[in-house]
Amino acid sequence: MSKPREPGTSLTLAEQQAIDEMARMRAVEELGVLDSPPSERFDRITRMARRLLGFEHVSIAFVGQDMHRTKSRVGAVPSEYARFGSFCNVAIEESGLLVVPDATQDPRFRDSPRVAGGPRLRFYAGHALEGPGGERVGTICVADTEPREFSEEQVAILKDLALWVEEELAHSREMSDSAQVQSGLLPHALVTLEGYDAAGLLRPVRAVSGDFYDWYPVRGGAAFTLADAMGKGVPAALMAATVRATMRAGSRYDGVAAAVESAAEALDADLESARTFVTMFHAHLEEETGILRYIDAGHGLTLLVRADGTTERLASLSGLPLGVGWDSEWEQGEIEMRHGDLLISVSDGVLDGLGGALDALDLVAEAVRGAPDAKSAIAAVASLVGRFPPDDMTILAVRRTPGFRS
Amino acid sequence: MESDITHRGDGVAVLALRGKLNMVTAPVVRETITALVGDGHSRVVVDLAEVPFLDSSGLGALIAGLKSARQAGGDLRIAAPSEQTRLVLRLTNMERVLTPYDTAEEAFARA
Repeated sequence: MSKPREPGTSLTLAEQQAIDEMARMRAVEELGVLDSPPSERFDRITRMARRLLGFEHVSIAFVGQDMHRTKSRVGAVPSEYARFGSFCNVAIEESGLLVVPDATQDPRFRDSPRVAGGPRLRFYAGHALEGPGGERVGTICVADTEPREFSEEQVAILKDLALWVEEELAHSREMSDSAQVQSGLLPHALVTLEGYDAAGLLRPVRAVSGDFYDWYPVRGGAAFTLADAMGKGVPAALMAATVRATMRAGSRYDGVAAAVESAAEALDADLESARTFVTMFHAHLEEETGILRYIDAGHGLTLLVRADGTTERLASLSGLPLGVGWDSEWEQGEIEMRHGDLLISVSDGVLDGLGGALDALDLVAEAVRGAPDAKSAIAAVASLVGRFPPDDMTILAVRRTPGFRS
Repeated sequence: MESDITHRGDGVAVLALRGKLNMVTAPVVRETITALVGDGHSRVVVDLAEVPFLDSSGLGALIAGLKSARQAGGDLRIAAPSEQTRLVLRLTNMERVLTPYDTAEEAFARA
């Protein structure tokens, strides 16, 4: 009687290794570490390794198909080197930890180029780095040009540092996934609104933004929102996503004041317990007439730049931000968008990036004057601020296309 | 951020801050004010003369302080804000509830 074949047992060692290598390469690619620029998060760890372990040559390297790419290094470590025959490759392919006290006495490395020639390495200690799925994606290692001993204590430190690198890897992966989710929450092209075009820009100072912009069709036109939750990073982004969802849920209300009031009421307890507040510009645009009805809840950074070059600031003297704890009455403002007029709303990252004074809005108005569409208006403001605003930078622009007389 | 607390003869506590009031320093300021109010000093002046910059988190700390002071039957007032801070208060319309005074002495002068 023949035994049933168990799946997996029929694989040869070479086949299993090829499958493992594919999984490993996929993990390396998903981490996006092979071609990324140097990062202080990893440099901090190599500096720490150098001091704690007392070695001049330290590196964190990731292993590609046939090259090691150095992500962070101190001392004489090349930015990339051949995978096969290297210490690091043996460290990841064998037990995960490799200590070579004197390479000239080790037949595996005696003739390797960096032992026989180059920096003439003698000592090596390396620990494998595992990706989120346990695949060995790289190493953290120390080296010396003299033979040395490596104590149990040093092994323990190297292992802890490897765990630290792994945490950084998992964290940066999570952050880039979060950024992707956030950009998925941005609105798509506004195809339903004839005679207007809209564009937006979200540029977070960290991986995710505490601002958002949004638009969606409402009866007779479209609704637009730009909001800014207090603070930066993940806590602010969580609140921004909550506010966006609440505002969308309120889109069934006819007026802007009703939409903001119902959102404020729904969000009050959440904002209170998160000890945060949100500033907001929210408007409904009537497609046929160009009438824009808006609420300014302590935002204050919205302009209507007219086709004739004049500018009006769309602000309110009374509307407080959402969540500050005082009853606020949000007074509805109303203005007519004529042909060729441009509405532009920015977050305070733009203000801070332009010197932090109110005349920054004059610079914004000047930059967008004559822009042929909403998208180029946004590009003009973004290039005015430069690449590195000090705070999350968000811009929303809506333009009514110029009319043609017959 | 450095801070000094002075207790005036009229029972008003003056919290003088030095440095940027931002995301990093805001939690400490919020806790300092909460502790003051918790100790029975519900009338607080935050002196901003040496605060060159305030961001939304900094404003959040002042709002939280104002809430706890008012809940305890007192008030929180701010003194000598910079131009940048005045602008933040103006844009958010928060100057309606966080009225700026020119000096710490003037805040609560007639209290």
